[in-house]
Amino acid sequence: MKLAEFIISPILAFIIGIFLMGLSRRIMARIHRRYGPPLMQPVIDLVKLFSQRTVSHGPIFDIGVILSLAGTIALILFIPFGGMCPLEASGGLLVILYIMLFAPLGLALSGGEGANPNISIGISRKFILSLGYEVPFILIVLAVMTYYHTISAVDVVKAQSSFHWALFSLPLFLPGLAYILIIPAMLGIRPFDLASAPQEISSGPMAEYGGKYLALAEIEHAFSIFITIALFVDMFLGGSGNVVYFFLKVLVVFIIGLLINAVFPRFRTEQAVKFLWKWPSVMALAGLVIVLAI
Amino acid sequence: MVNPVLLIAVPLGLAFSLPIFGLISKRLEKYLPVIAMLFNLSLSVYLVPRVLTHPIIVYIGGWAPPFGIDLFVGPVGIFFSVIIALVGLLVSIYAMDYIKEGDTGKYHVLFLLLLTGAQGVVLTGDIFNLFVFYEILCISSYALVGYLRDRDGLESAIKYLVQGSIGTGLVLTGIAFIYGLYGTLNMADIARQINSIKPAANFITLALIITGLGVEAAIFPMNAWLPDAHSSAPSSISAILSGIAIEIGVYAIARVIFTIFGATDILSFVALVGIITLLVGEMSALKQNNIKRMLAYSSTGQIGLIVFAFAIATSYGIEAGLFQILNHSLSKALLFLAAGYMIYRTGSMEISSFEGMGKRMPLTSLGFTIGAFSLIGLPPFAGFASKFLIVKAALTKGGGLYTCLIALALVATVIEGAYFFRVVQVLYFRGSNENVTRQEAPVVALVPFFVLAVLIIAIGIYPGPVMHVLNSATSEFVHRIAYIQGVLR
Amino acid sequence: MSLEMLLVIAFGGAFLTYLLGKLSPVLRDILAVLLTLVILAIVALFYGRTGESSFMNFLGFNLSLRINTLSWLFAIAVATLGSLSTIFSLSYMKGKERLDFYYLMMLIVNASMLGIVFSGDLISFYVFWEIMSWGTFLLISYNRGPALAAGLKYIVMSIVGSTAYLLGMFSLYASYSTFNIADIASRISTASPGYLLSVLVLFSITFGIKNALVPLHTWLPDAHSEAPSPFSAVLSGILIKMGTYGFVISMYVLVGIKALSHLGHGILSFHFMLAILAAVTILVPTFIALMQDDAKRVLAWSSIAQVGYIILGIAIGTSLGFAGGMFHFLNHASFKALLFMAIGAVEYRTGTRDLNSLGGIIKKMPFTFMMTLIGALGLIGFPLTNGFVSKWLIYKTLILGKDPFLAFVALFGTWGTILYAYKILHNIFMGQLPEEYKGVEEAPFSMKFPMVILSIIIILFGILPGIPLKVINVIGVSLGFKSLAVNIWGIASDTGALNTINIFSAILVSWIVVWLIFKAAPTSLRVEQDNNYAAGSYVPTGRYLYTANFYAPVYRIIKPYVIDVVDIFYMALAGAVRTLCDWTRRMYTGELGSYVMYIMLFLAVLITMRLGFNIW
Repeated sequence: MKLAEFIISPILAFIIGIFLMGLSRRIMARIHRRYGPPLMQPVIDLVKLFSQRTVSHGPIFDIGVILSLAGTIALILFIPFGGMCPLEASGGLLVILYIMLFAPLGLALSGGEGANPNISIGISRKFILSLGYEVPFILIVLAVMTYYHTISAVDVVKAQSSFHWALFSLPLFLPGLAYILIIPAMLGIRPFDLASAPQEISSGPMAEYGGKYLALAEIEHAFSIFITIALFVDMFLGGSGNVVYFFLKVLVVFIIGLLINAVFPRFRTEQAVKFLWKWPSVMALAGLVIVLAI
Repeated sequence: MVNPVLLIAVPLGLAFSLPIFGLISKRLEKYLPVIAMLFNLSLSVYLVPRVLTHPIIVYIGGWAPPFGIDLFVGPVGIFFSVIIALVGLLVSIYAMDYIKEGDTGKYHVLFLLLLTGAQGVVLTGDIFNLFVFYEILCISSYALVGYLRDRDGLESAIKYLVQGSIGTGLVLTGIAFIYGLYGTLNMADIARQINSIKPAANFITLALIITGLGVEAAIFPMNAWLPDAHSSAPSSISAILSGIAIEIGVYAIARVIFTIFGATDILSFVALVGIITLLVGEMSALKQNNIKRMLAYSSTGQIGLIVFAFAIATSYGIEAGLFQILNHSLSKALLFLAAGYMIYRTGSMEISSFEGMGKRMPLTSLGFTIGAFSLIGLPPFAGFASKFLIVKAALTKGGGLYTCLIALALVATVIEGAYFFRVVQVLYFRGSNENVTRQEAPVVALVPFFVLAVLIIAIGIYPGPVMHVLNSATSEFVHRIAYIQGVLR
Repeated sequence: MSLEMLLVIAFGGAFLTYLLGKLSPVLRDILAVLLTLVILAIVALFYGRTGESSFMNFLGFNLSLRINTLSWLFAIAVATLGSLSTIFSLSYMKGKERLDFYYLMMLIVNASMLGIVFSGDLISFYVFWEIMSWGTFLLISYNRGPALAAGLKYIVMSIVGSTAYLLGMFSLYASYSTFNIADIASRISTASPGYLLSVLVLFSITFGIKNALVPLHTWLPDAHSEAPSPFSAVLSGILIKMGTYGFVISMYVLVGIKALSHLGHGILSFHFMLAILAAVTILVPTFIALMQDDAKRVLAWSSIAQVGYIILGIAIGTSLGFAGGMFHFLNHASFKALLFMAIGAVEYRTGTRDLNSLGGIIKKMPFTFMMTLIGALGLIGFPLTNGFVSKWLIYKTLILGKDPFLAFVALFGTWGTILYAYKILHNIFMGQLPEEYKGVEEAPFSMKFPMVILSIIIILFGILPGIPLKVINVIGVSLGFKSLAVNIWGIASDTGALNTINIFSAILVSWIVVWLIFKAAPTSLRVEQDNNYAAGSYVPTGRYLYTANFYAPVYRIIKPYVIDVVDIFYMALAGAVRTLCDWTRRMYTGELGSYVMYIMLFLAVLITMRLGFNIW
């Protein structure tokens, strides 16, 4: 049974992630009063991309992108997901924090082998942005871990069983809100899409990607969407023992996040960092102080 | 049994007969100080074990004190006598090549007289005799400071002369008071009659004598002559002045305070003066660009440290002070001697002109570095042991005053470190090393460097044998009654 | 083989190497390497040994050498880095001036560090400590130019430190009449907290300076960046950790964990204050590092920050924290040495370490790139490197100990670390290769070899952290900490376990899966960098990609906040002291009249005090 989880959870995560990607394009289109692409569009894109011919600039160009996706897939195994958590006793939330690094670092290394100036700009922006959202994110995770006095994600979920959801507890309410605010930054979507702004710097680190490279990067993005939201569900909405139920929670959070942020224009880098260090951080900090005070 | 009087008589005799030898051959002159000091050194070392078992007291002319003059060859005396003879020997070897200009005959006579005076001061048991030897030391050093006959030298010699004379005048007045009060000049006999410095007469006598001796010992604020005198004298003389002369002044003060007056009441004041001397000296040295002035200021600082150590007045403190005297004599002699040849090669006393010395004169630079490290108190050099002992003495003495003072003393070592390390950097690392050819000092100069450096390291690693002597020397200072009884029987 | 023999070999060998250098440079190099390897072998054989023996008498005190697991751990790190950096020196230093001196000092510093960790009493500790200090001073100054100021700054701060140490040591002596560490430790439990605190503060100044704990860190950035690279590796890797050793000795061996816990309450306790200093040490230097453009300066500031983690772990005083701090010390030794060596190799080949002018070297030095990458990952604390495990331990103890703010600083510092570590990687190795470095070659073997060893250590300890953690656990238990449930794969615990093998397997399997997908897709065509940038048309000649000023938006935000105020303060203080000194010197006017007045004044004061105030 345990062994099956190792296979099932990444596959389910992939499906949900791809679905959310498609869904987000539809919803955005509707908000912009367009018709939008079909839900299956990301899958179609992937098939197309995998069949294309590509160019590469060197071994790190390949390794980086593989590393990026491999890290993200491995990360799925650490996240409690509908009653599954294949690697529960392996370091908990702290490991999750770190494995989230694989993706940006891999992409950055891979892009670095190219000499396109847009890549450098994109990488720089990506890292700055991550510095921006990590402040509230770390505070949020710390608030949760301190409140439940554990570093294990599974234990955090357990502690919220029978509807003791963290989001609706006094100390963790503000961190929960802060998390919703930073979701777009973590995913690099509007208004925080400065690192991969297609119109401005030709998708940044991915400027020289084509074919399978782009496909792997897209898959990575799909996984990231799922992971970011799943983490929220686990930490603040009590996770779930049931995959379907878990999926519904993810869906609701995703749509709410999308609606809030779809109408904003893109931040400049400094604005983004300043925003992230201001509101979400203050909220998360307040939560942490309340946790300590209780 | 060899008579310790020879320690004084031989150098004195050679000094006066030196012009006669000079008539035979000019080249002979420079060997006489070496011979005299070699004799003194061997005799002193020979006497060490005997003196340690019990002091040798020589009655000049067979008159027992208080009626006659006596030589008290105790552990303190022999300790100083070894240092004087050792440093004197090394400096005279160095001077064989270094002193070429001027009337070399006079130089060697004065040099021997200076050392004779020093020997006499540490060995005599009679306070007026002490004064006389002291004058011999001082007068020859006035003359030697002006030896080069340049403007600087003469100016500082005159300044030194004036201040020194005031000092000796005060000492003489003090001695006259003593004679008037107690009718004796024998130190043990005076000590027997003085039990307190409470009476104003006693105190004023003491004040006169320590002020007077303080001039020669370069205690703040009476040390203003020192930077001028030490920096304008020939380097060999600077080494003697810094390495021996001022320590003799400290010895005399210690003798007066501990043995004659037993004046333990004023020691905390003396400790304070010592620390001020130390701080002022080190602070003045910090920004010096003239190497010899820097070393001279550093000497005043070190004297302050020695005075402080003595003023702790526990047996640890005196031991530490004596050890620091040893360390300072060796290190400062080495520094001045090494600096001497570097100045000779570059023709400038500016520190900045010593760039590339590490390659040009590697052994001289090494000697300088070892001296500097030892003076800062870095292990494994001798300076570490003395710093160790001083801090130990101060902190085991206890009390807020000494703790604060030792903290200040350590602050001074930080300043000292700053300027010495700067010079070491200039020697080895500043400027470019290219186009520098090797111009090492001559062998006769390298011998003293080598001996001093080896001694500094050896004593730094194995201070045990030295401590053996110092223990007895300390008890001579601490046990005043024993000294009195020893002399007067 | 006794400890005395080891030190005799270490010091004697150093001088022998120097003398041999006068004879033949080749033999000197061989002897230097052999010597460090022999020392390494001997130290390795000491594993598990405990004991104490006196080796000489100094001023009536027995100096003794002592070995236990704690000193062994530090000694093996010293010996390893000593031999690796000596091997690295072979080609790095080739052709430079005064090599005999260089090797002599390297070996002496190495030997004195062994002496420090094997010292059984405070005196020999001090002796070796000072030998290390002046040896380091000479080596830092070796590069001339700006290195001189760095060296002077180092040594002056170092003397301040030893001053504090002397005071601390002698006040212990005044109370316990012994310098032996074990003896003092056995008697100290009855001492009053105030006294213990004053001694600890004095020792903290000494060790804080060497360890570059903010606000005592200011010597480090200059010294590390100006020293020759192999020595920077030693300096950053192990020399500053002597301060860490000192902290462990003074806090947990001398004072002891029990007495330490009574020094104050809550926030106002000694170890919490130290932890706060450590947190500041992590936070500010990390962001100063981010703003540097000299690769070695980045690493230097990074060393300060990483030392903050070590002290944070040790100061917090739980068994997890202690283990994390000690482990991080080992890890920092490995990855920072590796990074300094890699930067040294780049500098050796290109002649510069300016992050704004390098770029694209990966094409020429792929091996060095891999090494830098591994080092940087270790520095970040990336999973599967040793840095991850130690940081994990520190974070965990902070979170569970209800110190989330310290944990926040530690984690946030890590994200700053990611930025500057990546900046080094990117600006040196990535992007476009400048014209002038087209002819650059890969580093020679004698540079590659030590780097490979270090990178193996980083990965090995990252995947099997149990190896060092078991040793550290023994140390912890001997100091009175609770034993940890250490396994070869990490640490078992009911509040969240760590299993590095699981992480490793998860990533490995995912890697294979993704790689298979990647391989299944059509093979890609290997092209030049400018090929698809210009879409096949005209490419601007010269350089079209610069990665200068890499994180400009962040610089603009943080610049007003990350100023090394402490350094500015110290420099102002030094200036004020110099002025004061100059004023003092002016007392010596050169005028005879005033000099005579001084003499008379002194006499007058003496007599006035007696007659007027009658104080004697």
